[in-house]
Amino acid sequence: MLRLTNVQIMYDRSIEAVRDVSLNVEPGSIVALLGSNGAGKSTLLKAISNVLYPEEGEVINGTLAFEDADLKRIAADEIVRRGIVHVPEGRRLFPLMSVEENLSMGAFLKTQAQMKADLERVYTLFPRLKERRNAVAGYLSGGEQQMAAIGRALMAEPRLLMLDEPSLGLAPQIIDQIFETIVALNKEGRMSILLVEQNASLALDVADYGYIMENGRVVLDGPARDIAGNDDVKEFYLGFGESGSRKNYREVKHYKRRKRWLS
Amino acid sequence: MDLFLNLVASGLVIGSIYGIIAIAFAIIFKTTGVLNFAQGEVMMLVAYTSWSLATSLALPFWLLVPVTILAAALIGVVIEFVFIRPMSGQPVFSIVMVTIGLAITLRSLIIMIWGPDAAPFDASVEGGLIEIGPVVLFSEQLFALLLFCAVSAAVYLFFRFTRIGIAMRATAMDETSALLMGVDVRRISSLAWAIAAVVSGLAGVAFAVMFARAPDMWFQGLQSFPAAILGGLDSPLGSGAGGLIIGVIAALSEGYIGHGLKEISGFIVIIIVLMIRPYGLFGEKELERV
Repeated sequence: MLRLTNVQIMYDRSIEAVRDVSLNVEPGSIVALLGSNGAGKSTLLKAISNVLYPEEGEVINGTLAFEDADLKRIAADEIVRRGIVHVPEGRRLFPLMSVEENLSMGAFLKTQAQMKADLERVYTLFPRLKERRNAVAGYLSGGEQQMAAIGRALMAEPRLLMLDEPSLGLAPQIIDQIFETIVALNKEGRMSILLVEQNASLALDVADYGYIMENGRVVLDGPARDIAGNDDVKEFYLGFGESGSRKNYREVKHYKRRKRWLS
Repeated sequence: MDLFLNLVASGLVIGSIYGIIAIAFAIIFKTTGVLNFAQGEVMMLVAYTSWSLATSLALPFWLLVPVTILAAALIGVVIEFVFIRPMSGQPVFSIVMVTIGLAITLRSLIIMIWGPDAAPFDASVEGGLIEIGPVVLFSEQLFALLLFCAVSAAVYLFFRFTRIGIAMRATAMDETSALLMGVDVRRISSLAWAIAAVVSGLAGVAFAVMFARAPDMWFQGLQSFPAAILGGLDSPLGSGAGGLIIGVIAALSEGYIGHGLKEISGFIVIIIVLMIRPYGLFGEKELERV
């Protein structure tokens, strides 16, 4: 469905954010893209949505294909029309508009009738949003904002939903609820999902396939179960030692603590 | 008392013109972040075009208005495409400098095409003098007031209820998010310029009908500038109200204090207001959630 090959992305033609990344999303699957801050995950999502140019970012090499379309050549609105919808990092709601106006913006490319139907669908999925439909989006709690951001994306009826750190800054209970919704969308709505996360155990739990990025490169990929079972991933992303017990980082030998995938 | 009421009325009339132009300022600023210093000149260009249409085709006034709206929209789109579109991605300050250059270019262009002399705008609104209590207004002046009300209402409804209007507000708040919703941001900018040209152009026609079409009409644009600042540049309706306030203050200060005060009173008011409310009377404060 989505196929990236050897993608290289630079900011300002001088800072390399992503190098030689290849990534596939198969129809109906959940793909997790993991990695620490600054690994290039969000940059990759922005490249797929073709919204890098306001930040002076540019895809220098490689191809980004969605079905038979070359994503580098079509504008952001056409990408949304073709079915890729991106929930940006930090929610990015329109802060001074009401929840319902935010949601209706998600259906910008749809007809009035489709919008009405989708609005009902989103309200059934997130009853909390219906209660707060007239509230100013900027004053919602973090969890409500994330629901509104996902709801807004669903209004565009995506076939591939890209979520950028949906768990960021939320209480564990809310995170569970959000992830349950994501799985439900995938299982019942047959929606493909590309999930960017820092919370590796959570993401690998729901994903079918995983990629780990570091310093702009994919350092490990495989079925989510294999990745979750990998010793290095366990130690550096999931927080378990080889014995499966918790680890005190002060006692880890210096050279080991500094181990990275590429050094 | 009669003097006071008549001063207020004529202040409201000229304030309507300021207000409508200020709405145009605010529409472009709100959606694109650019302060269009050429708004007065765009207004003048539309008024001249409308005058030419009216005199050459002898259009009746009710037909002249829609034709002017079409011409104005076209002028706005062309100006945006030729001067502003190539500047996208450049710092806002550079774009503002382009609008200053555009202002001077349009002024000269108008004198080149139509000559430096003023001419009466004959397609005037019929009705003559209208008396409302002690206040006496020409029908042309009443037209300006009604136009202000109509433009304000239309702008309010447009931004509040139409999908493209909501998309324009959304683009103003978060351009990248708007892109991700499938909004073609370039079309939004072009639309903002078209709407601003239509709105300010109608003010230009109303002004020309009241006085004359003359090559110094652009000065009304400069006069409307304090109105937009006073009302808050990101609030079209606030800017409109700012226009009325500035108009009334200008008329009162001219009537009671002295002749030269008309031009500067508006600027004195904004200096005082901005000391107290830096985002204008009706502007949006930055919304912060802690």
